Amino acid sequence: MISERGRVPVEEGKMTKTGKPGINRRTTLALMGAGAFTVASPWVARAQAKTIKIGMPTILSGRVAQLGTSSRNAVMLEVEKVNAAGGLAGRQIEMVVRDSKGQPQEAARIARELVNTDGCEIILDGEASSGSFAVHEVARDIGVLCIHTCSEASSLTADPKQHIPNAFRCVRQGIHDSIAGGSYAANIAKAKGLKKWATCSPDYAYGRDTTAEFVTYLKHFAPDVEIISENWPKLFQPDYTETVTKILQAKPQALYSALWGGDLTSYIDQANIYAMFTQMEVFAVNMADYTALTVVKNLPKGIHSGNRYIKTYPATAENAAWGDAYKAKYKEYPTNWSWQNATAVMFLSEAAKKANSTDGKKLAEVLTGLTIKCPFGADGTVTMRGEDRTLVGYAIGWGTTIPNEPYVPEVKSGDWKQIFALEAEWKKSKGYT
Amino acid sequence: MSELNVENRAGAVPYVARPRRAAAIDVVAAVVAFAILAALPFLFDSKALLDFVIRCAAFGLFATSLNLLVGYTGLISFGHGMFFGLGAYGFGLLMQRANVSIPVAMVCTLAITAVAAVVIGAICVRLKEIYFAFVTLAFQMLIHSVILSWQSLTGGDQGLRGGIKRPVFWGIDLTNHVQLYIFSCALLVIGLLLMRQIAQSPFGYTLRMIRDNATRASFIGINVWRAKLTVFVLAALFASAGGMIMSLFVSGAYPEFAYWTISGEGIFINMLGGVTTFLGPMVGTVILLILNDTATRLTEHYGLVLGIVILFFALGLRKGLMDFAVDWYRAWRDKAKEQS
Amino acid sequence: MDLDALIGCLGSSACVVTQTTSGLIIGMLLFLVAVGLTLIFGVLKIVNFSHGAFYMFGAYFALTGYQLTGSFVVALLFGAIGAALIGLIFERVFISRVYGRDVLMQLLVCYAFVLIFDDTVKLIWGAEFKSMGMPEAFQVPPWFIAGGVVPPFYILLISVALAVAALLGIGLARSRLGKVIRAAAHNPDMVSALGINTALIYGSVFALGCALAGLAGALAAPVRSMTPGMGFSVLIESFIVTVIGGMGSILGALIGALLIGLIRSFGSLGFPLFTDGLMYLFMVIVLVARPTGLFGKDVA
Repeated sequence: MISERGRVPVEEGKMTKTGKPGINRRTTLALMGAGAFTVASPWVARAQAKTIKIGMPTILSGRVAQLGTSSRNAVMLEVEKVNAAGGLAGRQIEMVVRDSKGQPQEAARIARELVNTDGCEIILDGEASSGSFAVHEVARDIGVLCIHTCSEASSLTADPKQHIPNAFRCVRQGIHDSIAGGSYAANIAKAKGLKKWATCSPDYAYGRDTTAEFVTYLKHFAPDVEIISENWPKLFQPDYTETVTKILQAKPQALYSALWGGDLTSYIDQANIYAMFTQMEVFAVNMADYTALTVVKNLPKGIHSGNRYIKTYPATAENAAWGDAYKAKYKEYPTNWSWQNATAVMFLSEAAKKANSTDGKKLAEVLTGLTIKCPFGADGTVTMRGEDRTLVGYAIGWGTTIPNEPYVPEVKSGDWKQIFALEAEWKKSKGYT
Repeated sequence: MSELNVENRAGAVPYVARPRRAAAIDVVAAVVAFAILAALPFLFDSKALLDFVIRCAAFGLFATSLNLLVGYTGLISFGHGMFFGLGAYGFGLLMQRANVSIPVAMVCTLAITAVAAVVIGAICVRLKEIYFAFVTLAFQMLIHSVILSWQSLTGGDQGLRGGIKRPVFWGIDLTNHVQLYIFSCALLVIGLLLMRQIAQSPFGYTLRMIRDNATRASFIGINVWRAKLTVFVLAALFASAGGMIMSLFVSGAYPEFAYWTISGEGIFINMLGGVTTFLGPMVGTVILLILNDTATRLTEHYGLVLGIVILFFALGLRKGLMDFAVDWYRAWRDKAKEQS
Repeated sequence: MDLDALIGCLGSSACVVTQTTSGLIIGMLLFLVAVGLTLIFGVLKIVNFSHGAFYMFGAYFALTGYQLTGSFVVALLFGAIGAALIGLIFERVFISRVYGRDVLMQLLVCYAFVLIFDDTVKLIWGAEFKSMGMPEAFQVPPWFIAGGVVPPFYILLISVALAVAALLGIGLARSRLGKVIRAAAHNPDMVSALGINTALIYGSVFALGCALAGLAGALAAPVRSMTPGMGFSVLIESFIVTVIGGMGSILGALIGALLIGLIRSFGSLGFPLFTDGLMYLFMVIVLVARPTGLFGKDVA
């Protein structure tokens, strides 16, 4: 690569030997021409092959690299199974996974390249936040079948401006977690008389929306709750001391946090030495994820959390087997992103069977409203809801954590009927329906 | 304070009135370049190639405009990316909210950028050397935090959602990939041509003089502050145009466009291509994008690969590729003369 | 904006004590990183853009040291010495080639190593985030001072940073090596002409700067999770600190770090959504008023 590029200007220099001072322009014109040739050769789209390529832009480097690696792991695990069983409508799946480094313009470029150059016929979008919106625009633009597998921002599918017939979301959503969490927390608030609450969530769309929704439903179920302190640290902020002490000043009885991953563990470590967890009940929706649970060395007892991925919930043999298989293969526990990506592949496999085709349009038609058997379903199944092409019916619940296996011994399941009813109201209030 | 390598910079020669023919040659070169670019879609059936050139246009305009500051005036800006972001956001917001045509949105965005650049530039260009770099960086971070915080307008970290509509204007339909490509190429070529004229104008030579010796320039009656501010604003306009192309390409605008890493990439492109020739940054853009795309395709350890390539340029070549090529060519020509 | 909260806090001693110590904690860790940055700039005239990576190395080495021995002191030593060794090699093999070169070339080399170091850490320690956990000695309830809450671990942290500041200040002012370093900062050719080995001086200053960053990383390891690329936000903040304080000034780094720490801790009360913005705004104001920073030498 280096030597090849290095040679180009040398040859250009020779070409311009008859030239007088204007070499810059000419050199570049020639360079542009030469560049076009060398560059174009790997860029010729290939004809449809026997194998079907699925492209996956995701984040494999930087602070959230684990999002990409654990997503890819789960996808590969499922793809192996699908391929062993004959593939998608008879075509073996070949995954093409690329790193966007978390940059939206790179995510958009890679998604386009995967389709236009590599001949991918389906996109699994493993991007978070702005990257997923960028990939969504690509899907809108070129009409490729796209399943979002990591972005939890509600507006990605709830907002009708975002609706396109070829894009689906196979991800849990903040609004669902918040309704389930609000109802769970309200029960505890009433039982223990927790009236004064504080919040501490990352200052970006997911953190803000999820927190606002949680507060709405907490108050819906327990009307005399008041929020006395709001804290919005930046995403990936290394130090939370100022918000920890600010919350201690406010002396709330309970704290809600939508921090996740390394930010959550930093927060716990930093709040721990102020003995914060002995002074209030803590509700951290993203605590019960193995990545966070296994990393924190001094996990305080009794943090309330929503389920992210726990192999003991849903407490079925299928779920436990899946978690063990993942751990056996990759020597680490799956993440919340893992089950979402696995589910996306399960949906594709089932849709291809039903449609007996790998055509994007046909698959999209079948996927809309499709219910499949799934180890991560609340009742053993999950559904790709037709109206907004988003995942519902997945296992959702809250429980308290302990510092060792099984980490969350008892999970109280959320009630999907209640979630659907309140979600519909929420959509109306947002002007989405 | 490390000195800039003064003798090694673009055109360290006094300004001699430029014959009208030189400008004419520039125009011809631009027309030919545009013709070649416009012919590509008919020669190669590759959408990815078109995507590549569109991105080259966006980053190329941005990087070349940065070179007006770095190479020609000796102003090392670490915050040039803010105008790239401003262009993307200004254009995207106008298209989404104001319901205007694309050319009107572009002109308005340029006007907004100009105002912002005058205000920021008036504060920044007073500072020298590394302090100028830092204050531009601080402004960049400030604008980035404003974009993140002002969610009702900018959508915060999610960026401008819902896509950017592209209504047909003058018979041009930018929803069509080839037309968007040709439009971007046109903007690129026009932008480069204009910047070339700025660089070769008497004003361009004033900038070089300021770069080489600002004190002397002020002694002979040049208002250094005003000249620096002017080039700061001009460069911002072209960076903004680059941002607009990018927002058309991704059909949105994201806070990352206004982050300092974009400025860093601009600097990096300039170092790769070289700052002593006008087209160095353009070459640098092509190299960086090829490098980026290839490394992403082939490896997960993008950082390692890119880092090693940068080291090769910084410690091996010790200058940008175009600078290297020009030096090599000169040496070769001198040798040829000696022999004949 | 929530100015009432800020004013309310300033009226209560408990709140002032707690927020001030919280500002000190943020500030002192920043100081350790920033003072290395400013030392290296002052003597070597290099803007070490890769300085955040040494903070990262410090944290990861500390983690390994702690896992091997279970001793926090060993962890601190691992962090500081490990970062210093890598810094020394980095300076001798690569940075020494770009002394006196174009400032952009120097930045480019540093930038290359930011990328390389981040990927190296990812290869060695993995992409997932890690946490060291609080050493048992510090797993004690916090102390109360004038009604404010102060954890013992942070007392240690602040003391170590203050001790380093004092040692550096005295060392540079009094010791022979300090005098040589200051002379080298002022006129390297003259020092070299006097028969003093400038390469040795440069190497040791760079290693010292990296050791301080590594120490900061090691001190932060029990309370901050580690990921590849963690040095980055710290680097940006310490840049702000050095620029505000004046590049090359140790006192400036100390004052700048404390100011930024206090802006963060009190700013989070008054302007919870714009705390970062406040720092940048403050930096702009300082630079406009005093382009060389609060304690920087005027550019001749």
